[in-house]
Amino acid sequence: MSSPTLESGTATTAAATVTMSMQQALNRALDEVLAENPKAVIFGEDCGRLGGVFRITDGLQARHGAQRVFDTPLAESGILGMSVGLAMAGFHPIPEVQFDGFAYPAINQIVCQIARMNYRSRGTLPMPITLRVPSFGGIRAPEHHGESLEALFAHVPGLKVVSPSNPHEAYHLLKHAATRPDPVIFMEPKSRYWQKGEVDIANPGSPEGAKVMREGRHLTLVAWGAMVARCLQVAELAAEDGIEIEVLDLRWLKPIDAAALAASVGKTRRAVVVHEAPLTSGLGAEVAQLITQACFDTLKAPVERVTGFDVPYPSGDLEDEYIPNIDRILFGIQRVLEYKRG
Amino acid sequence: MAELSFPLPDLGEGLIEATVLEWLVAPGDQVERNQPLVEVETTKSAVELPSPQAGKVVRIHGGPGEKINVGEPLIVFEVPDDTAGIVGTVPKEEAPKRRVRLSAVLDED
Amino acid sequence: MSGRHTGEQHQHTVEGTDPQLYVNVVDPQDDAGLRPVLLLHGFSTSSKLNWEDTGWITALTQAGRRVIAVDLPGHGRSGAPEDRDSYSPSRIRADLLQIAFDAGARPLRDGDPASGLDVIGYSLGSRLAWEFGATQHELVHRLVLGGPNVADPLAAFDLPAAQRYLADGTPIADDSTAGLLKMAQLLPSNNIFALLSLIEAIKDEPFDPAEAVPPMPMLLVAGEKDERAASMPELAALGSKAGALVEQLVLPGRNHTNAVTSRAFKQGAIEFLGV
Repeated sequence: MSSPTLESGTATTAAATVTMSMQQALNRALDEVLAENPKAVIFGEDCGRLGGVFRITDGLQARHGAQRVFDTPLAESGILGMSVGLAMAGFHPIPEVQFDGFAYPAINQIVCQIARMNYRSRGTLPMPITLRVPSFGGIRAPEHHGESLEALFAHVPGLKVVSPSNPHEAYHLLKHAATRPDPVIFMEPKSRYWQKGEVDIANPGSPEGAKVMREGRHLTLVAWGAMVARCLQVAELAAEDGIEIEVLDLRWLKPIDAAALAASVGKTRRAVVVHEAPLTSGLGAEVAQLITQACFDTLKAPVERVTGFDVPYPSGDLEDEYIPNIDRILFGIQRVLEYKRG
Repeated sequence: MAELSFPLPDLGEGLIEATVLEWLVAPGDQVERNQPLVEVETTKSAVELPSPQAGKVVRIHGGPGEKINVGEPLIVFEVPDDTAGIVGTVPKEEAPKRRVRLSAVLDED
Repeated sequence: MSGRHTGEQHQHTVEGTDPQLYVNVVDPQDDAGLRPVLLLHGFSTSSKLNWEDTGWITALTQAGRRVIAVDLPGHGRSGAPEDRDSYSPSRIRADLLQIAFDAGARPLRDGDPASGLDVIGYSLGSRLAWEFGATQHELVHRLVLGGPNVADPLAAFDLPAAQRYLADGTPIADDSTAGLLKMAQLLPSNNIFALLSLIEAIKDEPFDPAEAVPPMPMLLVAGEKDERAASMPELAALGSKAGALVEQLVLPGRNHTNAVTSRAFKQGAIEFLGV
């Protein structure tokens, strides 16, 4: 490829804090994973020569060769099936499913093979597979390009699920996930690919568990992926009204950091969980239960959920009505604030 | 701005190369998607290749009479850094707007 | 895609048998209000290769022209009928007339720019267009003939040698025959035996441009290096002598194969027909 579209940030030393987009952060993380682990291989639809439809693997084939970064046929079951075989043979596959909705054809490989091979083989065949899935909505794309599959994946024993909310998290969480011995579903919030942020290369912070992105004392907003940035905006607006909101980026959706939920809501005594996925049997229910379990005695109100609707993900024109917007989140907060024990 | 290179596409029928007949665009031109870019001739026929995308032409490869192999660079476009993927559009970063105000009497017990 | 109809959409048959011809009608987004343009491709090609991949259909529709592209029998997506009659130039012309009417073409009327039909041919398609114009005065408005020739090179084709070659590989002595057969075999969409039937039918009805000369304005176009169209001035003289307005356009550096994509050819044709 002669298209250096993604220069990894403005500085070259690993010690510095650099400003880059999430695209660039993911690209740099993959570049380093390939350099550090000779067993790591990247593949998927358009991942090789084109560098991915979102340019996440841009330039990697040129730098690391077509043996390690390559294109596959349009067959997700094949991409994930091949990952199983490569993992058995000692590789660390980093496959990409081009869009969230394209994961459905590979559910058999993900659920029946990848998730349980380690268990089935009594630990002799671990599945160190990092499955990148550009996820969630927000880019006005057609059907199958805006879905939120975290609850489906989190429900499957044997899988880990993680979603970064900004470039720093993207860089460090991907590098961490790609060195785990377990299968990790890495859900990239595609609507945040282009936003720039500071990445502290040398100081990742803990790669495990949830992370407090803003401290507050009146209410905790729990979110992940693209909804974290929106919740930070809401917290800023709520501060104008005298309400101090804590924003907890859950990051890992399996396993969920129950201790972090307990600590935050134990302090604020009120919680609203926000996700793009439909309401019913969404991960918000799991979060609400974990909070209730830990904080039942001190909670001021039932945990509220502000989510997408129980409908198929809509076309681009209706996206703004579907994804939780600032006003819907503020209404959810108001319901919690107004709650009176009867 | 970033550069995006397009190779000579697979012209089917097992063809591995084509000869440039005439370029219909030049470096500096702003082209639309599907606008004719270049006439090329293979051993079987002559074809006109439409542009795979809109953009400003930075470089063209191969003058009239020169051969290009399938997969080798044909044309390079200049594209904005935040060009979306093949699907979808880049969301606009806007200042947050609200209609809802919060009101609460918080008991600080 | 709006305004695009493909497939065998003509409902009527000539002489009671279905010629199985593939028709592609493409409507422009902004109609210029002019008559449709019928496109006739050359031997051993197709409407896709001769007109679509070369950018003609895009160029014409962008100029506001409605396009009717037909695959000749045994070519492209058309069928390959068993009977030899389906391949005779006279039968093909009758089928084209029916297709043009079914696609909405109507006889010329004074002062109505939407009436009539313009025809663009290339190589064998130019021969058919010449004869079509000569026999359909009341329908055809103007002709553009690309890579035209006073004689049909297919008439000199050594059919027995080609059949022997196909049967047991006996080399073909005649260079023109060997070249034409090789060209025909290059394309998987060609039905080689249908193409031989077409050649046989052309031998029965060889091209005689002087027999009937189109009276309408015509633009003759050929590549400077097109040996097959070296006789273009003779055709032009025939047309002029019969009173037709004749223009000629020579494309520098182009040959019989690569003249067809030329921008100058397309622009010349669009301007010539845009009246």
